[in-house]
Amino acid sequence: MRPLRYLAIFVGIVLPAAVLAHGPTRQKVTLSAEVAAPPEEVWAVIGNFQDMSWHPAVFATTGSGGNDIDATRVLTLGAEGGPTISEVLYKHDDAAMSYSYRITDVLVEVLPVTNYSSHLTVKPAGDGKSLVEWRGAFYRGYPNNDPPPELNDEAAIAAVTGIYQAGLDALVARFATN
Amino acid sequence: MRWWPGLRRTDGALLTVLPALVATSVAAGDLAFVTNQSSSDLSVLDLDKRSETARIPVPGQPAGVAVSADRGWVFTVSPETKTLRKFDLATGAELNATVLDGGPIGIALAPDGGRVFVSDWYNARIWVLDAAAMTVETMLTTGSAPAGLVVAPDGSWLASADRDADQVSVFDLASLTLRHAIPVGTRPFGLAVAPDGRLFSADVGSNTVTVADPVSGAVLASIGVGERPYGIAFAQGAGFVTNQYADTVSVFDLDDLSVSATIAVGEYPEGIDVTSDGGMVVVANWFSNTVSLIDAKTRTVSGEIATGDGPRAFGRFIAPADGRTE
Repeated sequence: MRPLRYLAIFVGIVLPAAVLAHGPTRQKVTLSAEVAAPPEEVWAVIGNFQDMSWHPAVFATTGSGGNDIDATRVLTLGAEGGPTISEVLYKHDDAAMSYSYRITDVLVEVLPVTNYSSHLTVKPAGDGKSLVEWRGAFYRGYPNNDPPPELNDEAAIAAVTGIYQAGLDALVARFATN
Repeated sequence: MRWWPGLRRTDGALLTVLPALVATSVAAGDLAFVTNQSSSDLSVLDLDKRSETARIPVPGQPAGVAVSADRGWVFTVSPETKTLRKFDLATGAELNATVLDGGPIGIALAPDGGRVFVSDWYNARIWVLDAAAMTVETMLTTGSAPAGLVVAPDGSWLASADRDADQVSVFDLASLTLRHAIPVGTRPFGLAVAPDGRLFSADVGSNTVTVADPVSGAVLASIGVGERPYGIAFAQGAGFVTNQYADTVSVFDLDDLSVSATIAVGEYPEGIDVTSDGGMVVVANWFSNTVSLIDAKTRTVSGEIATGDGPRAFGRFIAPADGRTE
């Protein structure tokens, strides 16, 4: 089992009282990978909002509402009792093989972002292959001016990129060994 | 006549044909000044030719923008470097820059171009600056996290969307005093004033647009729109609202405030403004790196123009190229 990249983000700092404001500049990350299986097969693995077991960092997925709008899920990371990320589904389209969700609750010590939303899409890539695209939009973990390095824009981008890369790598490996 | 250099009509043969092709939805000579936050620049879009004619570097990840057609200015706000800049609308030359220490974000101009107002996201206040000299005259105290700003068409009041206070502050501009703190929906961000004088806030957290009377301070109505409403513009007797998470624009009629259309646009639509003839609504799509062009009468997307990376266009960003007003 590979080390969990985003658990390495743990920084153990204490923020001032929770605030609603966010940093000044929203960031975006788009990663994609070609997977050696037809889109229908890949979507069958990743298209269920209630099952994120395909991602190596996710230990468990619990939730309700299936793939309906406003369905929720809680991802437990790493191991039983590990840190959690709460998410809500706001778009799901089996025909387009795409879903969109946002984080409703996560500690910045777990994932140093706020106002995070994300889209996962499978597209045909020809020759029976697929292109999986994962996009995220978010603000850094520190809502005010002059963020500490572990909660600045670069840290947020690095953390999200790490999650996406680990997930895409796992999908590439999963279908390559079939 | 002032023309953008990149617009100079050297391609006369083509241009004699183009207006005939697009005559139904063209605001002759309007330019859009789109702040690209990720690429730190300003896209100048010729809405007539439907192309980008210039790209002006603006350091510090600009988001806020305000144009003054009469004065021939375009202002930008860069939150990363806390810098307000003023450019010549016709030449793109930077005229002035000043650092506003805090969290500058939203911007609006007085209709006569005399003053410019900038919200301070982190310190619950608004800088009031002389627009020509770019010097701070005074500051106004708002609720927590002021974002969008709008000034009355007659210059009598200024409003701020105080995001984390769930309110809109309205200031009397003659006396520079607070007139009303109006409770609106959850986390208002964008603000706009309709041609009939009513004030509208886009409430990100409650997926609503709140309608208020800026004179009496009364809340008049709340309109349910799409997921994460962000910006508002008015054209053809209707309001157009960008829904950031829904990738749509909701259209509501000003007479009965009912949503009558929902238009699919690019991803993460944000800034929205209307051409001087009221014929075209322009929407900046932050994730897609485009603007969507909406025919305001038919309420359909008539085209797209590519921009720099991360277009926000948070403010009034369209001006006639020759400086005239409607």
